[in-house]
Amino acid sequence: MAEKLILVADDDRDLVTALSIRLRATGYEVIGAHDGDEAYEMAKEQKPDLVIMDIRMPAGGGFDSMERLKHSLSTRNIPVILLTAFDDEDMREQARTLGCAGYFRKPFDDAEFMESIRKVLGS
Amino acid sequence: MRTYRVAYLGNDSEAAPLLRAALEKAGLEFMATPRDSAGIKKVADFDCDLVLWDLEDANPNEPTPMEQLRKAGLENMPVAVVVPTGWEAAVAGSLAEGAVDFLYKPIEKDPLPRILAALSTGQRQRRVAWANRVIEDTSRQIRGILANMADPAYVVSPEYQILYMNRVAEEIFGEGLRGGTCYHVFHDREEPCEVCARSKGAARWRSVLKNGKSYRFLSVDIRNSAGELERLAVATDVTVDEEVSKIYKTFISNVSHDLRTPLAAIDQYADILRDGLAGELNEEQKEDVDVIKRSTFRLGNLIENLIDANRILSGRLKLKMERVNVREILDLVLEHLEAQARDKGLELKVSVPDDLPPMYADKALIARVIANIAGNSIKFTEHGVVQIRAGYIPRDEGRIIISVEDAGIGIPTEDLGKIFELFYRVEGDKVYVEEGAGLGLSISREIVRAHGGTLWTESLEGMGSAFHFTLPVHKNESGAH
Repeated sequence: MAEKLILVADDDRDLVTALSIRLRATGYEVIGAHDGDEAYEMAKEQKPDLVIMDIRMPAGGGFDSMERLKHSLSTRNIPVILLTAFDDEDMREQARTLGCAGYFRKPFDDAEFMESIRKVLGS
Repeated sequence: MRTYRVAYLGNDSEAAPLLRAALEKAGLEFMATPRDSAGIKKVADFDCDLVLWDLEDANPNEPTPMEQLRKAGLENMPVAVVVPTGWEAAVAGSLAEGAVDFLYKPIEKDPLPRILAALSTGQRQRRVAWANRVIEDTSRQIRGILANMADPAYVVSPEYQILYMNRVAEEIFGEGLRGGTCYHVFHDREEPCEVCARSKGAARWRSVLKNGKSYRFLSVDIRNSAGELERLAVATDVTVDEEVSKIYKTFISNVSHDLRTPLAAIDQYADILRDGLAGELNEEQKEDVDVIKRSTFRLGNLIENLIDANRILSGRLKLKMERVNVREILDLVLEHLEAQARDKGLELKVSVPDDLPPMYADKALIARVIANIAGNSIKFTEHGVVQIRAGYIPRDEGRIIISVEDAGIGIPTEDLGKIFELFYRVEGDKVYVEEGAGLGLSISREIVRAHGGTLWTESLEGMGSAFHFTLPVHKNESGAH
């Protein structure tokens, strides 16, 4: 079976690199994006199995991008895990409403994060 | 001793001496003068308590005695009219105009009792007049204050009809709205606002009015003369306050966001190094990476403390209450505390009975309380053991008690009361300089308090300290905000 493909989108390039290293080491294939538009285009073209996305990014943050993904037939079933450095109850609520597969506040616990990914991907 | 003074205004040469004789015999002062403008002037100078005004031969068109006296500056001067017997119409008219009494002529043999009665009525009339003036002055002052306030104020009837609006209220809502209902005029509603419908006595609420400004209202019930409760509401413009607090909130939120963002990357890279994803590390390098991990955790904790301090100071600490076990809470922090203790060569002992009931608490916040106080104990202990203990107290429908005991330097008695103050740190040569903004303990106490619990400490200088806090097992009204 082919390796699962994960799209990591965050305007913090260092974090995208770090997550890519960790996820690849766990056996996933990873592609990175650095703003909302790029994330949406990549998701449409490459149909990843999971999108991990920051909430605040240039050119369409996590919520906008997630709505775009959910509106497109080809991407609506891709699960999304949201990341944010904001500690905001409203955001958490909005994330729930949008039906995201996970919500993590930076800095996050690595073990919990990996466990959540494993669950979402069913692997 | 003051004596009563009575003046007779009239042209009856028989009546005047009779009155003089009767009054002076009783020790009252008396004067008689013809009823003309010079006479009225004399009466004014005489400063009397009662004027006996003879209406015989008065011009039917001339003003009433009371009016003429008022014009002469003798407002509220008690008047008894003197008329020939049978002038009932004149008597009735005068009494209706404000005369206190009347005397028939010819003057009866002893007119004194009648005059004393008139004096007494006159005095009562003057007192009432004085009280009315005071009431009028006061109400004019209050209306003046209300009318000229910089913020809106209004009074409504028990049926929510607007009885009064001050100038600013009229500027905002328009003039001529008295009689309309406050909820309709002010808030475009079809029924009374809940806060008014619900509250009795004083009420507070906030609302944005038609001018786009935010106001904080304070209302009180005032009983009117009919015994009904009217409501006086006074507003304060809090637009600027709210804007400042919004800017402040956004600022704090952005600052903490920007602090956490690089922290996430540091933490991730430390994990990459620790797990050997960038090449195997030797033991020394692994320890170095552990220091990075621990420091990241401490920095993260400090940021959370700062944010919580801000929430507490601005009264916005919100608890996410859930049913939780002490064990689950400890799991969030033990790993880091153990590493911290190991680092200093200390032993961290934890004892939690298996049969401890779960409680309602904000898991993350209570975890931070434990991290704060246990972190402090580790910080100030050089040798030995730091112990975290949990227990159950069957008091007040059940409480969980969590204690942290150390063998550290202890806290000087004179400092015990101060350590919970924001930004307090133990000073002096006994203590080396440690990191931390002194936030941990005060925040911990506020968090415990918000749960409906208590946090306290006992300490022996040089022997160690113990921190204890209790939390209610059940949902608690004061903790459920």
